[in-house]
Amino acid sequence: MTSIPVPEQAGSSPSRGTALWRQVMPLALLSPAVLVTLAIVFFPMVQTAWMSLHEYVLFRPKNFDWVGLQNYLNVFQDEVFWISLRHTVLWIAITVPAQALLGLATALLLNQQFPWRPIARALIIIPWALPSVVIALMWAWIYDSNYGILNDLLLRIGILEASIPWLANPDTALYAIILTLTWQGFPFFAVMILAGLQSIPRSYYEAASLDGASPLRQFWHITLPGISGVLFTAILLRTIWVANSMDVIFVMTGGGPGYSTYTLPLYAFLEARTNLNFGYGSALAMTFTLLLLGIVILYLKRSAKAVQ
Amino acid sequence: MKTTISALALLAGLLPGLAHADSTVRFWYHFDNPENPMSDLIAKFEAENPGIKIDAMNVPWNSYYDNLYTSIVGGNAPDAAMLKMHALPRLLEMEALEPLDDQIAAWEGKDDIQENLFDLTRAEDGKQYYLPVQYVALYLYYRADMFEELGLTPPQTCQELRDAAVKLTRDTNGDSKIDTYGFGFRGGKSGHEHWGSFTLGATGVALDNSLTSDAGVAGTQFVIDLFQKDKVFPPSAPNDGFQEIIGAFKTGVTAMTIHHVGSSNDLVEALGDKVAAVPVPECGGGRWTTFGDESTAVLSNASDKEAAWKWISFLSTKGNNALFNTATGQLPVTKSDTETWQGHEARFVEATKQSLPFAKLLPASSNTPEFVNTVWPANMQRALLGQITALQMNEAIAELFADN
Repeated sequence: MTSIPVPEQAGSSPSRGTALWRQVMPLALLSPAVLVTLAIVFFPMVQTAWMSLHEYVLFRPKNFDWVGLQNYLNVFQDEVFWISLRHTVLWIAITVPAQALLGLATALLLNQQFPWRPIARALIIIPWALPSVVIALMWAWIYDSNYGILNDLLLRIGILEASIPWLANPDTALYAIILTLTWQGFPFFAVMILAGLQSIPRSYYEAASLDGASPLRQFWHITLPGISGVLFTAILLRTIWVANSMDVIFVMTGGGPGYSTYTLPLYAFLEARTNLNFGYGSALAMTFTLLLLGIVILYLKRSAKAVQ
Repeated sequence: MKTTISALALLAGLLPGLAHADSTVRFWYHFDNPENPMSDLIAKFEAENPGIKIDAMNVPWNSYYDNLYTSIVGGNAPDAAMLKMHALPRLLEMEALEPLDDQIAAWEGKDDIQENLFDLTRAEDGKQYYLPVQYVALYLYYRADMFEELGLTPPQTCQELRDAAVKLTRDTNGDSKIDTYGFGFRGGKSGHEHWGSFTLGATGVALDNSLTSDAGVAGTQFVIDLFQKDKVFPPSAPNDGFQEIIGAFKTGVTAMTIHHVGSSNDLVEALGDKVAAVPVPECGGGRWTTFGDESTAVLSNASDKEAAWKWISFLSTKGNNALFNTATGQLPVTKSDTETWQGHEARFVEATKQSLPFAKLLPASSNTPEFVNTVWPANMQRALLGQITALQMNEAIAELFADN
């Protein structure tokens, strides 16, 4: 432990100066981080909320007309919003559990003793480390109906009789992208859960074995409670990330065919960035933020508890 | 400390002077081909114009205009850029462009620009903001060998195209699976060019309320039927973009598609004499194809407008324009370069020339980019997949342009 020297100030008693410095110092040290966060997170959020109350089309920058909640009323009457919301719910409800289960299975495997284990642990991180755009392009080719390896394999082993345009078929496009994102995201769970597994003392398993507990019971009563904290935090974090993730969809289908792979963040992005309708795009983004707020609050509560 | 401050102040005072002495023109362009001659053009220009530096940036096409519009609003726009006509109304609303009438009037290269190109690229307010740099007109590519094998002739009408496409869609190796589809339709972004040839050629139909007329709806229905009933498009057609339609044509997955001379060298390299071209067929009483324009312009925020003009006029000058177009694969706008042009095989240049009389630009409307980027692709894809009718699709497009 090192102590921080406290400067003595002329004209005031040392104890008062010390007390004041102790009060001010934490604020002074935190202020750069707080200022940066305010500038790059809170200011854009407030700006988005403000824009959502206006009709603001970027190629008419002089027109910034107050419309109150009109954009929000339009959102709820917009067919594409409801389609996108349904897809967003499916997107989160399938992707996060699939990533978590695959990550759990991978972590349990990687926690076993086997040759080359460090290499396997390093390799498993590759999907997580690759840029989303690379992953999206790679999987788009895998799914390609003319040259894709997936159709080729399924045709060769006789599961398919004709190629399926996975990304051009509205019944399969969203699920094909969900599979891609599951592949991309499971290493995050694997690494987090592996860290959790390694924190469980071996003696618990030894004691359980002596008492005759089966591997399944050991998993249920020792492993799961041991990693529950990590798993819960990872699921919360990943839910927020997956909910907001749109880069893979944007590259693979751009939301198509039709609106088959529209999710709310993608819809907000396309409205603002491509159609330049920042007022309506902001209203979509704010609506989605409010919908996601429940999960965010849960995560923040949990983080605060962990800090205490 | 005082010395340091004085030195910094002196340096700060000197910097604007230095910037003035050496003007830098920030130029945005979009070339698909990464091996392009832009650095050669820049070296030549900088040698001829000491004191002007060109900072050229190849911006990916898919997000070119998104980046441009946001950079203008953000106050970080380039000094000059490559632009298409459909962007002109929005850029004018943003007051982002510099009129070029005076510069063009005084420019010795103006008489070498092909006839009508200045008329085609003039804004509705009568001013000239664009300087043409390349052009194309879309036409129909077809596999001459497949047509000959089946005793077919290149289609002159929509009905002939449908008949040919049905015959060309076949299993060629006897495994009961379709190996070749009659037509490679572009259902993704920019596919309005295909749809337009089947729909907007009809008498009295344009990108307005006339789309909801019987003739307008029949055009869209024709496209839907080709996919749903005749099954002459590959199943991936709703999402297919440029790479997919050209790739499928090169590998024999499709026997016809619509694109321009820009892809001809690539196709000849893959197919040789098996690829040929004719103008798009007549549909509903007339023909319609896309006039693929590309110009350059000086943006109103340019720090040195004279330098930016010098650069863009350099690109549309004899010799330089030919070099520029060897990279883009399109056609030069200068008469002198056109006379000696050997960048493409003659049959494709001929198909382009034959298409010019009925080649059209999209409406000069600030809603046109929305039509191109989101409204057309989303509605066409839904219509192809049976989620909406041809009438509903055309109504959505008509409504967009009625909002103007």
